[in-house]
Amino acid sequence: MELFLQLIVTGVMLGSIFALVALGWVLIYKCSGVLNLAMGELTMIGGYVCLAFYQRFVTIMPVNYAFIFALIGTIFVGLILGLLTERIFLRKMIGQPILAVIMVTVGLSFFFKGLVFMIWDTDTQVFLPRIFSIEPIVVGGIAVGAVYLWSFIAAMILMVVFICFFKYTRWGLSMQACADDEMAALSLGVSAKFVYALAWAIAFMAAGVGGTLLANINGLNYSVSSLGLLVLPVVVLGGLNSVPGAIVGGITIGILQNLAGGYGEAFIPGSKEVAPFVFMVIFLLFKPYGLWGWERIERV
Amino acid sequence: MSYLPCGTYFESYADDQKWWRTNFIKGKMIALVVVLAAAPYIVGAQWMSVLYTINYYILAALGVQLLIGYCGQITLGHAAFVAVGGYTSAMMVLFLPWPQFMVDSGIVYPISIVCAGFTAGIWSVLFGLPSARVKGFYLIMTTMAAQWITLRLVITQLSKIGGREQSFPLPPGIIKIGPWVIDSDEKIYYFSIILVIVCLVVMGNLLRSKIGRAWIAIRDNDIAAETMGVNIIVYKLLAFFVSGFFAGIAGAFWISALFFVSPENYEWFYSLLWVGIILIGGVGSIQGIVFGSAFVVMVFKLLEMSVLTLSDFLMTSYPELGWVTTKIIFFKESAFGLAIIFFLIYEPNGLSYRYWQLKNYFNLWPFSYTGK
Repeated sequence: MELFLQLIVTGVMLGSIFALVALGWVLIYKCSGVLNLAMGELTMIGGYVCLAFYQRFVTIMPVNYAFIFALIGTIFVGLILGLLTERIFLRKMIGQPILAVIMVTVGLSFFFKGLVFMIWDTDTQVFLPRIFSIEPIVVGGIAVGAVYLWSFIAAMILMVVFICFFKYTRWGLSMQACADDEMAALSLGVSAKFVYALAWAIAFMAAGVGGTLLANINGLNYSVSSLGLLVLPVVVLGGLNSVPGAIVGGITIGILQNLAGGYGEAFIPGSKEVAPFVFMVIFLLFKPYGLWGWERIERV
Repeated sequence: MSYLPCGTYFESYADDQKWWRTNFIKGKMIALVVVLAAAPYIVGAQWMSVLYTINYYILAALGVQLLIGYCGQITLGHAAFVAVGGYTSAMMVLFLPWPQFMVDSGIVYPISIVCAGFTAGIWSVLFGLPSARVKGFYLIMTTMAAQWITLRLVITQLSKIGGREQSFPLPPGIIKIGPWVIDSDEKIYYFSIILVIVCLVVMGNLLRSKIGRAWIAIRDNDIAAETMGVNIIVYKLLAFFVSGFFAGIAGAFWISALFFVSPENYEWFYSLLWVGIILIGGVGSIQGIVFGSAFVVMVFKLLEMSVLTLSDFLMTSYPELGWVTTKIIFFKESAFGLAIIFFLIYEPNGLSYRYWQLKNYFNLWPFSYTGK
């Protein structure tokens, strides 16, 4: 029972990172209709950029500050990269068929992967000196690694910041308007190009932070991108265009993956990686539009 | 020239249905077959592997083209089905207790190819089942799930059978078709080209039958197709089955070229590569598969050759720049990504469209209408 609770709690915390990255994905889809398959690489870029900053900063300031500044630097780089990506590659694809747009994002993922490995090589790297202590924090008999707890807190803070951004700022409102009805938003003076750029920038920022947190948990190598790719079952589970769906889906997938890792691995090796996808396929058979996705009513 | 001359009409349906409608086309096709048969003697020995890699990509991309280009079902997990084919064939050849006379007469491997096709087809239908209810991105996700699930299963379950590690080496002489043991590049090439021609003809004939018309109707508008009486679930699943069948054949062929089976040959990268091939070649065109495969394989080969010469040059002239060569593998991947993107942005119709334009130009030459 203790193991079960522990797996659930860590699962929720891991899931919150997925939820954060999924939030970025859903934003791009809601605002511009692009189905982004490069999300794994975006998370990986975030991790590597943050590590590079961290290694510079840690020589001149204490560890905690260095990490926070590195995180801020990552967010800033993500902003710039997001704007550039949208401007150079995606803007030309507005109105193209769905497969073409998807394949552009696939091309992006190859491009980014090659770029990252060209700059940073493929070896596993870790954040040294350690930012989070190895000592687990024990609450009521459940031990939780410090890195999980802090990741959970960071992901939650960022999520609240993003949601406040959508609810209360002018830019966020224009994004909401654009997602709701693009034509109406355009006629009311919302710039669609600006909204698309903003969506990509936010996705890059969220993925960057997510990647940093994942890299702190597992070490930084190509596997971060396959963890980042888990965002796809997450969004499918929640429904492609639902922000609360992304959060619930993220936490579900986190728990599921942890449970499969804790119990299933003994029977079927590799079930940790497979479980989210198997669950997703079966789930889709029963609820084709995810939990809260918009059902498309089609007419000839 | 490949059009009918003015004033000539067909007088029977059989004439109208013919593959080769004019003598010019007939001559062209016979010339093509001759060129293909002579290809090993035209190109050098070092290009043989390029030729049969092109053939492998054609076989593998055939199913992708069927699903995406003709049935409108986007798939991003085709390497999984190729893997199923490859592993089925390899395990049948290696582990089944075949009677000696069958081994001697060399029908074991051909039987395993057919079985590989069926297994891969059935596996593909399994992951195509959600297509009855979902469309678009949700379907893409289930095919991606096929990729992850299959590859994981292969790595964790199949790879351990028989006490072998990650890859199954196939002992020499085991891949045998009739009296011919497939052991040289030339034999691999001839085997592959025969498979490619057979599969392309089968595919072409399927597409002009009732089944093919139903697929195209589903691609263009599935609800309209359903109202016209096409059973879309059956035909979608049939499309998945046939595309899986082709994938299985491709996988079973590829083990004869590699002499081993290993999960690395079925990474997600390949699924994406084959979709990239049909996008580069042209979606919804059989020629597009050939053009796309040839283009991609040639580009990879040329990049590789330039990298080799570059690294030789660097090693001799600037040894301190040796680190550049280690980075260049990743450059290849980046370049491929960019190539896909720019193709989609600037050449969305693919190479087969250019071929079509070229053909039209010469058909009407010297009075060509270039159509601006």
